[in-house]
Amino acid sequence: MRGDAGVVCFPLTTEEVQHCVRIAGRHGRAVVPRGAGTGLAGGAVPKDAPVVVVTTKMQQVEVDRDRRLVWVQPGVINLDLTKQLRPDGFHFAPDPSSQQSCSLGGNVANNSGGPHCLAYGVTSAHVVAIEVVLGDGELTMLGGLDPEPAGYDLRGVFVGSEGCVGIATRIAVRLTPNPPAVATLLADFVEPADAAAAVSAIIAAGVVPAAIEMMDQRITQVVEAFVGAGYPTDAGAILLVEVDGLPGGVAAETALVDEVCRAHRARSVRVAADDEERMLLWKGRKTAFGAVARVKPNYYLHDTVVPRTKLLDVLRQVYEIADRHGIIVMNVFHAGDGNLHPLLVFDAREPGVLDRVHDAGEEIVRASLDAGGVLSGEHGIGLEKQPFMGWQFTTVDLDAQARLRDAFDPDGRCNPAKVLPAGSRCGDLQHLDDSRRRQLLDDGAWV
Amino acid sequence: MKIPVVEDELAQCVSCGLCLPHCPTFRVTGEERYSPRGRIEAIRQVHRGDEPADASFIDMMDTCVQCRGCETACPSGVPFGRLMEAAREGLAEATRYQPWYRRLGYRALAVHPLVVAGSRLLALAQRSRLVPSARLGLPDRLPLRVAPLRVRAVAADAPEVWFHTGCVMDAWQRDVHDAALAVLGAMGVAARLPQPNRRGLDGGCCGALAGHAGLIDIARAQATATMATFPGSAPILVDSAGCGAQLKDLGHLLGTDEARAFSARVFDIQEWIAAHADRLPGPGPAAAGADRPVVAVQDPCHLRHVQRAHLPVRQVLRPYFTLVELDDEGLCCGAGGAYSVLQPELSRQIRDRKLGALRRAGGSVVASANPGCSMHLAAAGLEVRHPMELLADALGLAAEAGDGDGQRDRDRG
Ligand SMILES: Cc1cc2nc3c(=O)[nH]c(=O)nc-3n(C[C@H](O)[C@H](O)[C@H](O)COP(=O)(O)OP(=O)(O)OC[C@H]3O[C@@H](n4cnc5c(N)ncnc54)[C@H](O)[C@@H]3O)c2cc1C
Ligand code: SF4
Ligand code: SF4
Repeated sequence: MRGDAGVVCFPLTTEEVQHCVRIAGRHGRAVVPRGAGTGLAGGAVPKDAPVVVVTTKMQQVEVDRDRRLVWVQPGVINLDLTKQLRPDGFHFAPDPSSQQSCSLGGNVANNSGGPHCLAYGVTSAHVVAIEVVLGDGELTMLGGLDPEPAGYDLRGVFVGSEGCVGIATRIAVRLTPNPPAVATLLADFVEPADAAAAVSAIIAAGVVPAAIEMMDQRITQVVEAFVGAGYPTDAGAILLVEVDGLPGGVAAETALVDEVCRAHRARSVRVAADDEERMLLWKGRKTAFGAVARVKPNYYLHDTVVPRTKLLDVLRQVYEIADRHGIIVMNVFHAGDGNLHPLLVFDAREPGVLDRVHDAGEEIVRASLDAGGVLSGEHGIGLEKQPFMGWQFTTVDLDAQARLRDAFDPDGRCNPAKVLPAGSRCGDLQHLDDSRRRQLLDDGAWV
Repeated sequence: MKIPVVEDELAQCVSCGLCLPHCPTFRVTGEERYSPRGRIEAIRQVHRGDEPADASFIDMMDTCVQCRGCETACPSGVPFGRLMEAAREGLAEATRYQPWYRRLGYRALAVHPLVVAGSRLLALAQRSRLVPSARLGLPDRLPLRVAPLRVRAVAADAPEVWFHTGCVMDAWQRDVHDAALAVLGAMGVAARLPQPNRRGLDGGCCGALAGHAGLIDIARAQATATMATFPGSAPILVDSAGCGAQLKDLGHLLGTDEARAFSARVFDIQEWIAAHADRLPGPGPAAAGADRPVVAVQDPCHLRHVQRAHLPVRQVLRPYFTLVELDDEGLCCGAGGAYSVLQPELSRQIRDRKLGALRRAGGSVVASANPGCSMHLAAAGLEVRHPMELLADALGLAAEAGDGDGQRDRDRG
């Protein structure tokens, strides 16, 4: 995705962010916040030469042990924070697969999730308070450290707002104690259908694992070539299941998950012997998106969520759609909560391929929505999913969202080109802008 | 400007950003232009002709340490080292990026007596305070005189290996070479020093420094000359991670079957010793005690990210020392060949991070298997030793140096 930045700023402090925003305002420019630029929906891509406020140099961390929380500046990297908290026995629970690179500001703005959010909840469950620079440069605090802050939950509005209501300059997040015991299991299935059925059966058996991830054969093969974790490359699908808690409980749940998987025709179930093996198994899962370039240099990724019971059905349709359009599809996803990540893999230099990718993507979104799903689980709408908004929301829904946004940012200074399609405010005609979507795709690689 | 890259390799980056935290210059600046992803994008734009190869582009390329930490981190397998070398090659060809005096300097590295003489001159200048050593990242006191290198006498039927001596390292850190030869002797291995090639030169630069600067022709000539000094089929052992990485890559640099066969014979010395550990005399009783020296292992990038042979250092040292690990996943120390001299400010900031990691790890001495890193870290006041020196000490071989019963002595200075 290509953008054009007017000016790029690297502030160090909240005051500097305020200056950037005010100067942008004086010159009639919009502001676009940017963290590490790992976002998958183009939320940080600048359009129409705005002022880009990059938070990477904002790296302060202040731990408040008494309140069991930590104040961070938005540029702090997710995994760095967890590593820093480790000696005290804590971590930051949301662990997007990009956690080694992505920033806390980006996590908050996209309400990011990760494999372990199945049990621990996504980012919004961990954010207590946010200091925000608004579109006019004014400073405000959303949420607060009191257990029951008064008034509306405006913190909740900001989490997931994709930079469209202001710039987070300090964020208070909860510390999660590290579990005393952890076990990671790798189950190997011939049939993806059996793997999907096992996911539902595990949860039905009363276990809420810390994570359940599924990878299909193609993605498993690609990832194995990078990490060498010993994933079975001839499996139709694999499940990566993690259980944590007190040692006794972990042992019992491990046995139960093992039994359920075998009952669903798992060929083998391997329990990681030590932390090193666990890390390696997770490294494979967490680098999956990046590793696809070993097959083709470009990918187009969707992020729909479907009811877990419909998982298998939608998955079947995904393969069928991709086959029909002659596109390779790889599937890796948060199976526990039905969040699909079908990766359409292609080489943009092949003539005509963009049209086929575009059409296949559209059909996949349709199939997911028809199954009662939603457009985006965790990657956000940004620029890329914008044209699909009208499929999920009515004009009334979109108008309400636009008015909420206007309440924070009446002059439309904050990341105005994102999320809501042009014409979301009532009175404008809401329709699907097909040519715009095509043009976006033509702009270059989807990342 | 056309950049001599393989276009498929350039297309391979999907801009995921997973490499960012593993890039030392991104870590200290937080700026995309000093990240692998930013640099790849810039190379693409210049290669396509969308942007000129201007000062800003040169700055983006020059500030890269060529540590290749981004390569180990990259799930897509982007061969970043090659892209960067190609970018610099393109610059060297199309612009005055490498001025004549630098080209001359890189060429001179092949003429070993010149290197040793130059080093002696520098050492003299240092002693008369003519050069600001600390600012230039030079070791505190360069040796004025280097003792001849001596291989140890072993049994007639001992297995043979070649021992690479190199350019600057041989002038500045011949003690390390000597320790390595002592260890090989104790293992009952017959080490052979490089044989004079057609130009009558034995050893000299492998071409790594010129290659990193984009002077591919000079690098190829030096590599070819170096190859000729190690005839036959015996393994070639290298005690400098940078040189080892280069020699293992000659197959790619020269593209011949001969070079590929040569590269297959190259081993980092720790790698080879770990594979032949049964030849090492076991640790004495002193090594078993609780008061064993605590050694922090620093992984040179060219050992960890390029050769991916950093684990053998631990295998070799573990029987004799208590080892502690750094928590920075092999992030570069900022030495980078001539980088510490050419980019002193960034190099120092990167080193500061490494010093933090070393402090957190603890340990009384740092083990580093690359001369550049060890000098860079020593210049910050740390005690840094090559694994071979530590091993020679542990085996009680240190005192034996210079007692003159060598099978073949040679003053190579
Ligand atoms: C390999 C890979 C794996 C991924 N896996 C996951 C996953 O498992 N789960 C998941 O949820 N996501 C995942 N993502 C998506 C992405 O990493 C997350 O959305 C992440 O939170 C983005 O953080 P960032 O710092 O890179 O933000 P950016 O990409 O820089 O920005 C993202 C959005 O946040 C806004 N923003 C950034 N900082 C601020 C701020 N301080 N204040 C206000 N707005 C701000 C930007 O304007 C933009 O709209 C993955 C991405 C990749 C490349
Ligand atoms: S070099 Fe590799 S890790 Fe870095 S952005 Fe490109 S694909 Fe991702
Ligand atoms: S080689 Fe090292 S300095 Fe250069 S881009 Fe890669 S990680 Fe950064």
